[in-house]
Amino acid sequence: MSERVVTERSSVLVRLRTSWPSVAGVAVLLLVLLVFPVFAGVAYLKAGQYVLIGVVGAVGLTLLVGQAGQLSLAHPFFLLVGAVSYAVLAGDSGDSGDLVGLGLPPLLAVIGAVAICALVGLAFSPVSGRLRGIYLGVASLSLVFLGLYLGQSLDMLSGGTSTGRPPPTFDLFGFRFANSDPAPTILGVAIQKQQRLWYLFLVLAIVAYLLARGAVRSRVGRAWRAVRDNEAAATAMGVNVARAKAQAFTVSSAFAGLAGVMTALWLDLVKPDENEFIGTYSITVAISYLAMVLIGGLGSIPGAVAGAVLVNGLPQVLTLGATEFGWSIGTLSPVLISAFVYGAAIVLVVLFEPGGLAAIGRRLTTRQGDR
Amino acid sequence: MLSVRGLEVRYGRSVTALEEIDLDVGPDGVLAVLGGNGAGKSTLLRAVSGTLRLHGGAVAAGEIRFRDERIDRLDPAEIVRRGVVAVPEGRQVFARMTVEENLRAGGLGARSAAVRTAARARVAELFPVLAERATQRAGLLSGGEQQMLAIGRALMSGPDLLLLDEPSLGLAPQMVGRIARIVGEIHAQGTAVVLVEQNATMALEVADTAVVLEVGRVALAGPAAELAASDDVQRLYLGGHAESEEQAEAEAAFARQHRRTLSRWAG
Repeated sequence: MSERVVTERSSVLVRLRTSWPSVAGVAVLLLVLLVFPVFAGVAYLKAGQYVLIGVVGAVGLTLLVGQAGQLSLAHPFFLLVGAVSYAVLAGDSGDSGDLVGLGLPPLLAVIGAVAICALVGLAFSPVSGRLRGIYLGVASLSLVFLGLYLGQSLDMLSGGTSTGRPPPTFDLFGFRFANSDPAPTILGVAIQKQQRLWYLFLVLAIVAYLLARGAVRSRVGRAWRAVRDNEAAATAMGVNVARAKAQAFTVSSAFAGLAGVMTALWLDLVKPDENEFIGTYSITVAISYLAMVLIGGLGSIPGAVAGAVLVNGLPQVLTLGATEFGWSIGTLSPVLISAFVYGAAIVLVVLFEPGGLAAIGRRLTTRQGDR
Repeated sequence: MLSVRGLEVRYGRSVTALEEIDLDVGPDGVLAVLGGNGAGKSTLLRAVSGTLRLHGGAVAAGEIRFRDERIDRLDPAEIVRRGVVAVPEGRQVFARMTVEENLRAGGLGARSAAVRTAARARVAELFPVLAERATQRAGLLSGGEQQMLAIGRALMSGPDLLLLDEPSLGLAPQMVGRIARIVGEIHAQGTAVVLVEQNATMALEVADTAVVLEVGRVALAGPAAELAASDDVQRLYLGGHAESEEQAEAEAAFARQHRRTLSRWAG
């Protein structure tokens, strides 16, 4: 018994020693993210916002795929449901009056959209609870096709493929996330629409990160991992396997829904895709979210963030490089180049470091702690 | 504490794995369930722990009662909450999780936080080696350590009845002895145990009552000491005590011939 006390105390000491640099690191990172709008132009801000959308979605997907062990390609479907729900809940009936809009306060609409996505995810649980692995992957893919069909046919909700519908401007207790005159300033830089959205997205991403981390460390997360590692043993331990799986799918769908609302605000448009392969809510998006989660390291929350930075950030950076500095590699588009890069990254991760970026990061930090 | 009456279990429509099973476990008893491969030992544990459905089986007739309440219609999680927990065959630790996390996962089915805390202390006392290995991945433990982890994990929910499926399987003789002592200790602390074993020597040492299953039926039942002394059990499961090689062969031949007749011994 006394030995255990000693080891516990020393582990606290180790934690204290390693936590100083990491606390400092987090503080510096937060500071950089907070002043980012001061020194970055609108194009960079848009790129940053897009990365933050990826962070929220990828964190949600890594809970499902990495922690609970359920392969899902349905993420774009929930992005679409989130985006459309926000537009319907907060929107009006449009100029010609042929749209459904409830005109709720935007904050309420965001919460509602997330709740709707969670419910839709829960409704899918009879399927997600029974299937696993590649079978669930294929079954969940059918939701992307369902989303495509519903988006195209339910014009009064989605706005239709030709024009779409504008998402209502977000506002928080009267503070509108739009351009204004006069605008508040930070260090002499006017905080207009894009700066405000950056801060909004940053807060949402941090909240998503902390919620996911809380879930992973709680009994809920432990049950997910038990089910992932061995369903029979988890059942024997008194874990309700079907409920744990439904929970994971529901939570993951809610994260995707939030990312969907953010996508609508980022594009300033809710518009269903015209085909299933390219577009905002297409199979390509499903694959890029899986790529984020894989590259980051399955189940790791910081890994999902890193994966989102790489997968969503790279095409944006390359596009910016092309427009601002004239970067170009032959006739390859930035999107194509980054697809190659993260395709290669997946192969490298699977071959050399199945734990992904998270495992590489962990190795670097523990080596520092040893010294 | 546990009573099984007229239990019949089927896999699919045609395979009857257990028939007319009657058995009882007292509040602080250890019941050994013996029998060869395919006798229905694991099926019996699955039926009690409610996990038959995972294996495509179902209770076709009879009932299982725990503390006078029927548990054969409950789902596995509810059975664990009532205080019946199983250590499945082949250990099945969560290989990718650490030892610590495995134990915590075992506490997921506990009735309350107080139960968990008490169980925690008990497991630390029973298995000091698990505390030493707390941060290691469970998949890296030796077979014996994995078995201890599987038992420790099951104890984390604070059960009143522990179901063990072949804990000695694939372990070195010395480790089998250790597991036997641990089962004895768990029993001494007031937890009833159902011990399914092919290693009859070990099981009969630990148990106070025993049943022998033969092709899905109870062939023999009685106090463990009596069964250990009976000639047929010795011949069939304990390896006999032959004076010479010829005698051993003759006894083995006799045992083979008379295998079927054992079922008449029931009761």
